[in-house]
Amino acid sequence: MVSLARKNLLHDRLRFAITVSGVAFAVTLVLVQVGLFMGLLAKATTTIEHADADIWVTSRETPNVDFAHTFPETTVLRVRGLAGVERADNLIVQFMNIQLPSGAEEGCLVYALEDFHAWNLPWNVQGADVADLRRGRYILMDRSAERRFGPFAVGEHREILRRRFKIIGTTEGAASFTTAPIVFMDFANAQELLETLQNRTHYVLVKVAPGAVPEAVAAAIRRIAPYNDVHTQADWARRSRAYWVVSTGLGMNMGITVFLGVLVGIVVVAQTLYTSAVEHMKEFGTVKAIGGSNWDIYRILGEQALIAAVLGYGLGGLISLAMRPLMARLFLNVLVSPQFALAVFVGTLLMCLGAAMLSFRRVASIDPALVFRT
Amino acid sequence: MAAEPKVLEATDVVKVFEEGAQKVEVLRGVSLDVAPGEVVALEGPSGSGKTTLLSILGCILTPTAGRVRVAGETVDSSSAARLREVRRRSIGFVFQQYNLFPALTALENVEYALNVKGLRGLEAEKEATRALELVGLEDRLRFLPRDLSGGQKQRVAIARALAGRPQVLLADEPTANLDTAAGTQVLDLFRGLAKREDKGLVVVTHDPKVRAIADRVVGIRDGRLAA
Repeated sequence: MVSLARKNLLHDRLRFAITVSGVAFAVTLVLVQVGLFMGLLAKATTTIEHADADIWVTSRETPNVDFAHTFPETTVLRVRGLAGVERADNLIVQFMNIQLPSGAEEGCLVYALEDFHAWNLPWNVQGADVADLRRGRYILMDRSAERRFGPFAVGEHREILRRRFKIIGTTEGAASFTTAPIVFMDFANAQELLETLQNRTHYVLVKVAPGAVPEAVAAAIRRIAPYNDVHTQADWARRSRAYWVVSTGLGMNMGITVFLGVLVGIVVVAQTLYTSAVEHMKEFGTVKAIGGSNWDIYRILGEQALIAAVLGYGLGGLISLAMRPLMARLFLNVLVSPQFALAVFVGTLLMCLGAAMLSFRRVASIDPALVFRT
Repeated sequence: MAAEPKVLEATDVVKVFEEGAQKVEVLRGVSLDVAPGEVVALEGPSGSGKTTLLSILGCILTPTAGRVRVAGETVDSSSAARLREVRRRSIGFVFQQYNLFPALTALENVEYALNVKGLRGLEAEKEATRALELVGLEDRLRFLPRDLSGGQKQRVAIARALAGRPQVLLADEPTANLDTAAGTQVLDLFRGLAKREDKGLVVVTHDPKVRAIADRVVGIRDGRLAA
C-alpha cells in the first residue's frame, strides 16, 4: 500500500526535520531532566538501599536518612531480644567538619558502625578491609570527596573535629543528597568526637531472621520502642525520597519542566502538522473526490504523527545517552529506568497523536468540490 | 426495441446555493443522459453552471431537486457515505490542474487511488501499471510529477481516473493548462480510451478542440441546457 503520509513527510525534508527536532527536544528535555532528578534522588537513598538492613529504627519524625536525631544507644539491646531479629546494630550518621590541607574546613557526613561487614556498608571499598577501621583512628573516604575536598590519597591524614585520622582506603558510590562527601569510621571513634553522641545513636539497623516477615518484626519493635519510628527498608527509602521531592520543591520544579517539555513538543508537532494539512488541502480534497473518507485523511495525519514520534524519540534518546558521560564529568548522574524510558515513548506517541488530532477538524471540513477550484 | 442503457442520467436537476440570506439558483432543471462509450462535451460561459453540474454528476455535490443515476443506480444523496461509495466504484475524475500528489511517482499516484478504492498490494500495482500503459507512460512509472510535462501529468491523471475501471469519466477543463499539441494528444487519447473501454465521458470545456472528439456537444447557459 502506498504511504501518502510517509511520502508527504519526506517530500518536504526541512519541515520534516523541524518536526522531528521538536519532538526530539521535548524527549531529551524530559529524559535528561527527569534522569538528573532520579540520579539526585538515588543519592538520597543509596546508603539505605545498599545496607543489608530490613528495618531502620529512627528517632521520631526523622524526615530522611541525612537529618536524624539521636536516641539512647541501649535501644538496640531491646531490639535484639525480639523474636524474628537476627541481628541489630547502632549506626551513627552525623555531619562533621573536616579540615583540608589548605586550612579550610568543609562538611562531611560520617557513617559510623561497629561491624561494617555485617551490614554491607560501605560497598565498593578499595585499598582496605573495613574491619581495619576498628584498629585505630582510621577512615574510608568516598572518591566523590575529591570534588569538594580536592585530591587525596590513601595514607594521608585529615582532621575531623580536630582529631587526626588516617585515610586507609576509599569507597565508590556512597553519596548523600546534600552532596556532603561520606566518610566511614568506627562507632566508638565517632562517639568520641562529639559529646552529644555519648551513649547515643542515630539509627538501629535490624536484619530480620530467615522466615520472619519484616512488617511483623517492625510492628513488634514499635511496641517495645514507642518513642521511636520504625520503618522497613523500602518505606524508609520512600520517605527519604519524598522529603526531597516535596519539601524542597524539586518535585514541583521537575513537574513543571516535564510539562513545559511536553507542551513544546505538542506545539511543534501540532504547528507543523496543521500547516502541512492546510498546505495539502487540495490533495486531501482529491482524496475525498476519488472516494476517500475523513478517516482516510485522519490515518494520513496519524501516520505522520507516529513517524515523527518514533524518529523524534529515537533522536532524543540518542542525545540523552550522549549527554550521560558529559553529565558524569560534572558528577551528575542521569538515571533513566527502562520503565521510565518506555513511559516516555508511550507519552511521545500520545503527544504526537494528540497534536495531529488538532488538525482533524480542519480536515473534516474539507469540501471535495475544492478540487474543481483553480 | 429496448432503449440503450445509460451509464449516467440526470433528470430535472436543480441546484440552489444559499449565501447568507440570498439564494442563488445555479441549475434550473437540467436533464442529461450519457451512454457507455459516448463522449459528451459540456460547453458554456463562466458562471453558467458547468462545474456545478459536473460536481452533481460526480456525486460530489447533491442536487436541491431532481435525480441522478450512475451506472443504473439511483444516487441516494442523503448519505455522504453512499455518495462516496458511488464515486469510489463508478466514477473517475480528471481535473484541470491534474491534482496529482507531488510526493508520489506516476505509478504511486495511480496506485494510491486504487488503494482508496479498496485494491491493495500487488494487484493494485498491476492495475496501476496497466492504466499507465494504456496512456502510453510505461517508461515514466517512477517519475515524480515535477519531472513530467503538462501533457504527461494529465495522462497520469487520466490513468488514475481509469484505474478501478469506473463506468463514468468526468473531466473538468482537461486541456486548459496544456499547449495545443499536448491538448490534442490528450483529447485523442481520452476519446480512444472512452470508446475502447466503453466508458461514458463528460468533458466540461471552453476548448473548441473538444468539439472534434465529442459525439455530442451540449451547451449550458444560466443553469439551463441550451436547445
